[in-house]
Amino acid sequence: MAHIHLGEGSFPLWAVIVWTLLGLGLISTIIYRIRKGGIETHQIALAGIGAAASFAVFQLNIPVWGGIHMNLTGLVGILAGPLLGALIALVVNIFSAALGHGAVGLLGANTLVNASEAIVAYYMFKTLMGMDWDVFPASTSAATIGLSAGAFLMGAIIVISGVNGSALPRGDLAIAVGGLVGLNLGVAVIEGLLTGFIINFLTSVRPDLVGMVDRDSTEEPAGVTG
Amino acid sequence: MQWWKQYGGLGALFAAFLAAGYWGFTATGGALPWAKRSARALQRGVQEGGGALVNVGRGIIVAGPIRKGGLMLEFGGLVVLLSMIGLGLYVYVDRYNGFDRDQPTQKP
Repeated sequence: MAHIHLGEGSFPLWAVIVWTLLGLGLISTIIYRIRKGGIETHQIALAGIGAAASFAVFQLNIPVWGGIHMNLTGLVGILAGPLLGALIALVVNIFSAALGHGAVGLLGANTLVNASEAIVAYYMFKTLMGMDWDVFPASTSAATIGLSAGAFLMGAIIVISGVNGSALPRGDLAIAVGGLVGLNLGVAVIEGLLTGFIINFLTSVRPDLVGMVDRDSTEEPAGVTG
Repeated sequence: MQWWKQYGGLGALFAAFLAAGYWGFTATGGALPWAKRSARALQRGVQEGGGALVNVGRGIIVAGPIRKGGLMLEFGGLVVLLSMIGLGLYVYVDRYNGFDRDQPTQKP
């Protein structure tokens, strides 16, 4: 659920420029790789659904840990892959910023944060499945670790940038940000569990969506037989 | 891999993250919504606070900038639009088994 909720002008100008350029670099690299390597068409459909689900849940404040929102970026990364997952993070952040949820000037930083969640979750899931883990613990662990990566990146971005108007010395700011990162780790457990249940369910009904079987070899449901 | 190793690892991960989460919860003001918590922690530093970890009575609400800014209609419209596009793509791809028999959109 890592997301920098600071208003416009919270970061110094140099920081806004640096994170925007880094975000642009990431998105440019992803677009280049997509254009060069192509993507499976069924992933585009999953990306569309993932973007809708992620955007909707992004705006819903649930009453745990004081009041937080989830991202579903771990789920999106596992289902749509790291490339489309990062693009979904960009789209969701643009729509959110357009509605006032997150600053426009922090689009680059927030895209980096949420894209890192999707990318880490995807590769962690593939690694754990390669180690012969079951789907539920693999997807839950992958999403949780992916979200924690985003939380740490969010903390690093804030500490490196500094916050305009804050009188806190850098050390105190780092401790305060550490508290926010810690809270995010707790939230990651909830979102990781939710992701694990969803991936486990999808694997049982449509394993091809999770990359468990080849789509071409997917058998039609047998239905009820006499 | 043996199941107890998988779930043992997951349990250890959860225990560590939940402990970190509880520390972060108390150190950054207790039962505060995330945006208010961020602003307060980054302006004033860590300040101990308490409150319930789960407050069911608060319910699930839409993010403050949207709710207070009178943008609920726009939010609903965007959700419906994105959902329709996503579901439409899914049905199309599922029904027709993908464009060009599900080959990559552009070959290398």
